Amino acid sequence: MASVYKSLSKTNGHEKEGPANGVKKNKQRVLILSSRGITYRHRHLLNDIASLLPHSRKDAKLDTKSKLYQLNELAELYNCNNVFFFEARKGKDLYLWMSKAPNGPTVKMHMQNLHTMEELHFTGNCLKGSRPILSFDASFDKEPHLRVIKELFLHIFGVPKGARKAKPFIDHVMGFTLADGKIWIRNYQINETEPSKAIPSDTADAAPKKKSGKDKDKETEVALVEIGPRFVLTPIVIQEGSFGGPIIYENKEFVSPNQVRSEIRLKKAGRYNARAEQGVERLAKKGELGLRTSGGRKMKRDELDTAELFA
Amino acid sequence: MVTKGKLKMALAAEKGTDFKMLHLKKKEKVARKVKGKKGGGEGEVVNGNGNGNANGKKGEEEWEDVEEEVEGEDGSGSEEEVDGPMKIDFEGIDESDSDSSAGENDQNNESEEEDEEDIPMSDLEDLDDEEKEDIIPHQRLTINNTVALTAALKRIALPLSKLPFSEHQSVTTSEPVSIPDVSDDLNRELAFYAQSLSAVQEARKSLKAEVVPFTRPTDYFAEMVKADEHMAKIKAKLIDEAASKKASAEARKQRDLKKFGKQVQVAKLQERDKERKQTMEKIKVLKRKRQGADTEATNEADMFDVAVDDEIKDSKASRKDRQGPNKRAKKDEKFGFGGKKRFKKSGDAMSSGDLRGFSAKKMKGATGGAKQRPGKARRAGKR
Repeated sequence: MASVYKSLSKTNGHEKEGPANGVKKNKQRVLILSSRGITYRHRHLLNDIASLLPHSRKDAKLDTKSKLYQLNELAELYNCNNVFFFEARKGKDLYLWMSKAPNGPTVKMHMQNLHTMEELHFTGNCLKGSRPILSFDASFDKEPHLRVIKELFLHIFGVPKGARKAKPFIDHVMGFTLADGKIWIRNYQINETEPSKAIPSDTADAAPKKKSGKDKDKETEVALVEIGPRFVLTPIVIQEGSFGGPIIYENKEFVSPNQVRSEIRLKKAGRYNARAEQGVERLAKKGELGLRTSGGRKMKRDELDTAELFA
Repeated sequence: MVTKGKLKMALAAEKGTDFKMLHLKKKEKVARKVKGKKGGGEGEVVNGNGNGNANGKKGEEEWEDVEEEVEGEDGSGSEEEVDGPMKIDFEGIDESDSDSSAGENDQNNESEEEDEEDIPMSDLEDLDDEEKEDIIPHQRLTINNTVALTAALKRIALPLSKLPFSEHQSVTTSEPVSIPDVSDDLNRELAFYAQSLSAVQEARKSLKAEVVPFTRPTDYFAEMVKADEHMAKIKAKLIDEAASKKASAEARKQRDLKKFGKQVQVAKLQERDKERKQTMEKIKVLKRKRQGADTEATNEADMFDVAVDDEIKDSKASRKDRQGPNKRAKKDEKFGFGGKKRFKKSGDAMSSGDLRGFSAKKMKGATGGAKQRPGKARRAGKR
C-alpha cells in the first residue's frame, strides 16, 4: 500500500513539476556493475568511477555474460535509467557497455590503457560527489554514432543537479576527446588561485570598499591538476535497444584483441617456418649445383680432375 | 562474396562460372556500368535467365547483366531474392525523420559500397602473401545506419538549448581538437589539458551568470574522492622522489669535490715542501755567507748576491711551478716501471740495515694503547 502511495505521489509530484518548469528535468541514475572475471585493476577503476558519480548505484557482479538483457530488469529494480557495465573477457580484455535502460540505445566499447586513480600518483583531488563540467571535443558532433555516444556520456558522467549525494560546488572537469578513432577520457581538478600580486599593487591604495566589490567579479586564475583515472575507449557496436535489438552501427576499424594476439602468435610461428623453408631451399640449390653427395644433379667430370688425371 | 540465390548457383555450377573472375571483371566495368545503367533493360535479364544452355563466354556476359540489374534501382520482382536483404523500408522511415532523404542516399551508397569493396576474409585465405599485403581486409561489413542512429539520439537527447547550463554543465569545443601524433604523449596531454581548461573558463562564465556557486570556500570540508591516506601516500611519494633527486645531486657534488680536493691537497703538500726546501737553502746560503763575512766583510756584495740568488730561485720555481699529475710517477715508484721486477720486494743488505722504521718502543709492545696497569704494590701504595 505504501509503495502504491509512494508511486502515486511521486508521479503527481512529477506532473506538477513538469509544467511548472516547462522543460524536462535532467534526471539520471546509473547502475554500475561488472561481469565476473574482472581483474583488480578493472575493479579499482570501477570503484573510482563510482566514487565520481554520486547518482550511481553499484551492484554486485553479474553472473552471466551471455544474457545481458537481464541488466534491464536489474536497472528497473534499482530505478536506474542508465547502465554502465564492465564486461571482462579472458581476465584481460575489458569491454564497456553503456546503455539507456528501458529501450536503448546501447554502446559497446573496448577499453584500453586504463589507469586507476591509485596507480596514477596525481596530486589532484576533488570533492566526492561534486558535479563535473563535461568537456567534449567538437568532433563528437560530426557523425551520428559519435553524437549518440556523446549523449550517453552526458547522461552517465554528468551528475544531475538534484542528485542526492551531490556537493554544491564545482571543482573538477572531465574531458572527452576524440583522437585516432578512440575516445580519450581525462579527469582534472580545477585549481583556482588568486591572480599574481603585480596587477593589484597599483590599485592597492584604492579604498577597501572598492576592493570588496571587486572581489566578486575578479577572475581568479584557473589551472588544472589531473586527478585520474585515465582510459581510452574504442567504440565497437551500437545497438538500438537496451542490450538487444538491431545493430545500428558497427566499427569497421576495430580489431579485436584476440585477433591481435593471434597475429602475434602466428608471426612468431612464421619465423620457424621461414627458417625451415630456407634450409630446404639451400639444400635444393646445392643439389642443383651438384655439391651434394647424394641426390641432386651429378657434377660433370672435369678433365683436370685429380681422379681423372691419376686414374 | 557469392550471395546469389539457389537457382542461380545451380545455373552457375552448370556453366562452370568462376565467381572470382567475375568479381574482378565487375570491378573493371564499374565505369562502363554507370554509362550503360540507363540502357540496361529488364528484358535482357529475363532472356539471360531463360537461356540455360548458352556457351561460356555468353554466360559471363549474362552474369554481368544480372549484376547491372542489381545495381540499378529498378530491380524487378524476380530479383527480389538478390537485393532483398539490402533493401530497407524507406517509406516507413520517411515518416519518422525529416532528414531521411539524405539518410536514404547514404544507405544506398553504403550498401553499394559493401558490394564493391568489402572482401570477406574467407576469400583472402587462398591468396598469396604478396597479394595479401596489398589488400586491406575488412573483416566486418560496415554498418552505419544513420537514420536509426539519429532516431535513437532524438529519443534520448536532452534539450540542451532549453536547459539552463547548470543542469547539464557540458561544454563542446568550438573547433575539433587536433592531435597530429597520438603517440606523442606530451603534446597529446597538452591538447587534452587545453580543451578542458577552455571548457572550464567557459563554464565558469555561464555558471557565474546563473549565480551558481562555483568555487569551494576554504572552510568547506567534506569527503574527497581521494582519501587522506591516499593523499598522504602521494605526498610521501613526491617527497621521496624529491629526496632521492637531492641525494643524488649531493652525491655527485661530493664526488666532484673529492676529486678536486685531492688535487688541492697534493698541490698544498708540494707547496709546503718547496717552501721548506727554499728556507733550508736560504739558511745554508746565509751560513756560508756568514762564514765568508768574517774574512771579507762586504755587505753590499752580500746583499747583491742574495738578490741574485732569489732571482734565480724565483725563475726556477716558476718553471717548476706547473704541477702535472704526479700520480703516474708515484705509481711507478711504488710498483716499478720497466726493468727487472724479480726480487724487488725481497730484502737485501741495505734494507735489513735500514733502521728508519725501527722503534724500540714499538718493539716492546707499548703501542699507545691503554696505559699499563701499575703493579699491585704500587697500587696499594698509592692509596
